Amino acid sequence: MCRTALKFLVLMLCIGTGYSFAQTKQTVKREFKFGKVLPAEFETKATGVDSSASAIKLFDVGECYFEISPVTKDFVYVFERHIRYKILNKNGYDLANYTINLYKGSGSEKEDLNYMDASTYNLVDGKIVISKLNKDAKFSEAFNKNYTVKKFALPNVKEGSIIEFKYKIKSDFIFNLRGWRFQSDIPTLWSEYNVRIPEYLKYKNNFSGYYQVEHPLHETVSATYVSGLNSNAIYDKYTAANVPALKDEPFVTTMDDYIPKIEFELKATQFPNDVYRDFNSSWPKIITSLAEREDFGLFINRNGYAKSVLPGILKGEKDTLACLKLIYDYVKSNIKWNKEHEKYATGTNPKTVFEKKTGTTADINLSLLSLLKEAKIEAYPVLISTRSNGEHPGYPIISAFNNVILVAKVGKDFHFLDATDKDLPLDLISDENLSHQGFYVDLKNATGNWISTETLIPSEKIFSYNLALNKENKLIGKINQYSRGYSALALRDNYRNTNNETEFIKKFKKDKTGLELTNYKIDNLDNLDELLTESMDVVIEDNVEEAGNLVYFTPLLFERTKENLFKLEERKFPVDFAFPFKESYRITLSFPEEYEIDKLPKGGIYKLPDDKGTFSINYISEGKALMVKSSISINKSLYTSEEYFDLKELFKAIVEKQAEQVVFKKKV
Amino acid sequence: MKYILTILVTVFAYCSISAQGIYDVAKIPEALTKDAVAVIRNEEQFFDIKGLGSAQYDYKIAITILSKAGEDWGDMEEVYDKFSTINNIKATLYDATGKKVKDYKSSDIKDQSLSDGFSLLQDNRVKLLKFTSNTYPYTVEYSFSQDFKGLLYFPSWRDLKGFGISTEKSSYAIQKYKGYSMRYLTSKNLKTDSVIIGNKIQYKWKSADIPAIVSEPLNAGIDNISAWIKVAPNQFEYDGTTGNFDNWKDFGLWMYNLNVDGNRLPDATKLMVQNLIKDAKTPKQKMQILYSHLQQNTRYVSVQLGIGGFRPILAEKVAQVNYGDCKALSNYMKALLNEAGIPSNLIVIGNGMQSMNANYSSMGQANHMILCVPLEKDTTFLECTSQYKPMGFIGYDNADRNVLLVTDGGGKIIHTPIYGVKDNYQIRKTNIKFNDEGTAEIGIKSAYGNAQFENVFGITLQEPSEQRKIIIRNSDIPGVELLTYKYEQKDKTLPVINEEINFKTTQLLTKGGDKAFLTLNQTNRKESVPLKVENRKTYFAVPFSYNDEDEIIYTLPKGYSVEFIPKDINITSEFGTYTAKFATKDNTITYVRTQTMSNKKYPPEKYNEYVEFNKKIYQADKQKAVLAKAL
Repeated sequence: MCRTALKFLVLMLCIGTGYSFAQTKQTVKREFKFGKVLPAEFETKATGVDSSASAIKLFDVGECYFEISPVTKDFVYVFERHIRYKILNKNGYDLANYTINLYKGSGSEKEDLNYMDASTYNLVDGKIVISKLNKDAKFSEAFNKNYTVKKFALPNVKEGSIIEFKYKIKSDFIFNLRGWRFQSDIPTLWSEYNVRIPEYLKYKNNFSGYYQVEHPLHETVSATYVSGLNSNAIYDKYTAANVPALKDEPFVTTMDDYIPKIEFELKATQFPNDVYRDFNSSWPKIITSLAEREDFGLFINRNGYAKSVLPGILKGEKDTLACLKLIYDYVKSNIKWNKEHEKYATGTNPKTVFEKKTGTTADINLSLLSLLKEAKIEAYPVLISTRSNGEHPGYPIISAFNNVILVAKVGKDFHFLDATDKDLPLDLISDENLSHQGFYVDLKNATGNWISTETLIPSEKIFSYNLALNKENKLIGKINQYSRGYSALALRDNYRNTNNETEFIKKFKKDKTGLELTNYKIDNLDNLDELLTESMDVVIEDNVEEAGNLVYFTPLLFERTKENLFKLEERKFPVDFAFPFKESYRITLSFPEEYEIDKLPKGGIYKLPDDKGTFSINYISEGKALMVKSSISINKSLYTSEEYFDLKELFKAIVEKQAEQVVFKKKV
Repeated sequence: MKYILTILVTVFAYCSISAQGIYDVAKIPEALTKDAVAVIRNEEQFFDIKGLGSAQYDYKIAITILSKAGEDWGDMEEVYDKFSTINNIKATLYDATGKKVKDYKSSDIKDQSLSDGFSLLQDNRVKLLKFTSNTYPYTVEYSFSQDFKGLLYFPSWRDLKGFGISTEKSSYAIQKYKGYSMRYLTSKNLKTDSVIIGNKIQYKWKSADIPAIVSEPLNAGIDNISAWIKVAPNQFEYDGTTGNFDNWKDFGLWMYNLNVDGNRLPDATKLMVQNLIKDAKTPKQKMQILYSHLQQNTRYVSVQLGIGGFRPILAEKVAQVNYGDCKALSNYMKALLNEAGIPSNLIVIGNGMQSMNANYSSMGQANHMILCVPLEKDTTFLECTSQYKPMGFIGYDNADRNVLLVTDGGGKIIHTPIYGVKDNYQIRKTNIKFNDEGTAEIGIKSAYGNAQFENVFGITLQEPSEQRKIIIRNSDIPGVELLTYKYEQKDKTLPVINEEINFKTTQLLTKGGDKAFLTLNQTNRKESVPLKVENRKTYFAVPFSYNDEDEIIYTLPKGYSVEFIPKDINITSEFGTYTAKFATKDNTITYVRTQTMSNKKYPPEKYNEYVEFNKKIYQADKQKAVLAKAL
């Protein structure tokens, strides 16, 4: 990236260009000295919502700055961290085991731990007793060929101990610097990150999270990288104080999206006597460098394999959409996903992917693109940050993506393609990709834009029960179930991952006490564009009850929503369902001559404002027949924390109303 | 001459195996594909003992994956440590017809450290290879050699690998030199062949055409339906030590000698012990003081390296750092007790494993260490890795099993305490009061003992926000709002915990016309029934014996009278007993439920009776009262 750093700098030294010092602003200086623990720190207690916390982070201070490596003659960055905890109870003991992961590239590039010191402090009879980290409590484990894990275990840790770690890492990997998280699962009193970046290197930084981080300093300071040469660095200080603990919540992309944090990616270099080298400062720059990459743009262009197989795949087919489907099916059935998300291909040629018959998301989807390109079908890569990778900040930053899918244009229509799962039809992408938007790139014209990845195929489940109630209170008849979109994807996945149909039926019956079924049939299992249909003949016991001369049951039987998914009083983050969905239920029931309806519950419709969600239930009876319909529509994939309350109330109504019973009276 | 012949045979065998088509799926007998997701086509284990501390293991397996559900069976995951190396790995993928698809390269094989999930550090590593194919069925074949330097245990063998997988052919051969002694244990009807080849003896076991078995709930293992063999050395060398395993006595002696001199304490710690116990009168009081000192001042850190997986860290060292694994902490506690003049013994135990076999001593039957303190009147067992457990309570994962007591005279098999039906109790008294609008105020007081204490105790370590979630999730009552709750362990030395919960709900009464229904069991309802299994093959057991008692007193809303209450119910079976009693007086209903379960191991044919028993309980738990509105 900037291999020639020293060369440029030395050159500058010879020319003797001088640089003037920038004046440093005075700021309030907090002191964090290793080994200097004040008795008052032992008094620290957790308060408020975190009053039962297992530990408190007293401070967490990081430094990030640069040096010239004597080995590579290039810039390396130094990361220093000094962290101190007060252990409040035994649940916090694990903090005394510290782990550091160090990365090693395939070449000589690596990360080293240069220094580690750690101690435990206990207050014994008013005096501070220090226990240093023992030599034999430092461990190193070669996890695999890329990662070495350093582990440290502190002695004499008990409730009330203060522990601290201070260490230093040097890293050759300057494209992404170590970022900083200002919040964790225990409360933090003070968190601070000081970053000094040489004037020759330009980084983009990315802030995210749901807590305010201060930026009290941004100034130019002097920094010496080559002895005798004065140069400057940009010094930024980021701080956060009194940050509460962050707790897990359901329906999120990843909790990491909600942690206040800062991340860095190299944008450009500007060495003296060298031109301004822009890596990724703008989308066109990013796209241009993607186009030039062996494992992206050039990978797609290698058309040898495509040329050799296309005639056999298309067999003269002329219709573009039909061609698209044929190629998509070919890739889906010839390459198997190895469960890894990547945005760059592993190799440099689609041919090796087809030979290996397995690959990452990038291997598969970029190979698909090479085939589409050769078939002259207009298609583009769409960069994605998967749900577990977290939300992309939106502005030009390539490292925040971790996946790639495709979008194809046929006539006026756009189609998403993700060939990583045989059961994905055209337009449906695997659900890890459902982070609401992706960035499509046009490599030829070096343009691109954000596009919505919300699916056009509705996800729906329809239950249709057609039953007769007999005098032994058994329900006998037929059940049909229909699935579409992600519901169908989930059902297909479940079906295929089960040993055989007998086992599948067992699983199906497992949480449906009283159900016996015969003639189970599943239609369109391999016909992805059609409605996935299940049908069966059933006898249901134990669901209709009798007390005195009254007979009663809950008509939603096994499909009742029994629990409100949203139990917490409030929520700070959005509710992210990933995709909208609909569930509808219809039961048609005939009952014996001797029975009379004693009570039908009241029907009703519950709507969220602006048609964001609906629940309805209604009851109709005629003669000795009864029909109950219930339907739930969640019309958005994402609900804000302000909408949480409405959503919670909607589900409360669903649970309550679906639990209501139909009562028959027996003629005596 | 004999030597050459062996080579020829080997070469011939190799040729025939690599010939195409041998793994043709069509060649699998139909009986082996029924209920199977994968079929072991051929498995060959060969273990050649070369010395007290060295051996070579040659392994080869071919598995046909029939469907997507069987994919995980096709992964290679081979474990080694610093006393063995895995080399010469060969791996090949075949299609359905048995045609070779590809050979894997060594760069396809991952090598990484293996985490056991709780150790900070240990030295097991794993060679990993994921075979992938986009079409089914396919066959994977791999082989490797493993060189052992240090022999504590031998690879074992079992023809059936689990549920849903059948075996066409599998064999194990162990070769030893004359004079080397070892013992083996086989399943009931497994035949052992032995041949003498020069100065070597080979033992062979084999199995063929074993159909797959569908997974069975609550199963107590597949020992009774599979052929298996376990082998253990008598004399051995390992990590610079030698020992003898021919019986538990010698095994225990080896353990004892590993730890000789491991019991010394620094003078400061000795002084501390004397200070701590200076006012204690009885050995039991002293033990209590020292055990709670241990719990307050040490933490669990597991580091398992080489012989360190068996030898406790010196007590002196633990006194310095105040952490250690089960061995280090048990041994440290032993040293503390010793300083107080109380003798004790280390115990080697299989935590959550099967009881140790009194007649067959070997490694691999245990994974944990606790301490046994034989006092005059009673014996106390101490779990030294827990910072919370009451003294003497070792939990159901340690209870009721054969364990090895380590003494200076060698090892001895003893049995740990049993927590029975009466010990593992849950006694719950509930008051439910309806106001005029039908809102119910619910007060629940519960006491939990022993195994049931263990289940609830974990909740008390959670943060309040988590506790609220768990309480709401665990409740059977519809639409609850949690008002207050409290957990209390009145006596920290006893495994008993009390819980008080107050709820409010508007959804308890189901109204129909001028009637209202009330499900009477609101606090301990069986919500599902296990499915029946036809032709069950494995034994089954419930996790532990227990005893639940529930009493609920309802005060009905004004204007309602009881129109119907169910009749009392008694269900008895060999699995346990169940009673439900319903009584009404004025505007109250009293519901009393009892259930006891015993955790014996039951034969497969009893399973459907067990299901029937559960079904009756399920129905009994749904009983409702009908309330009528006075007009």
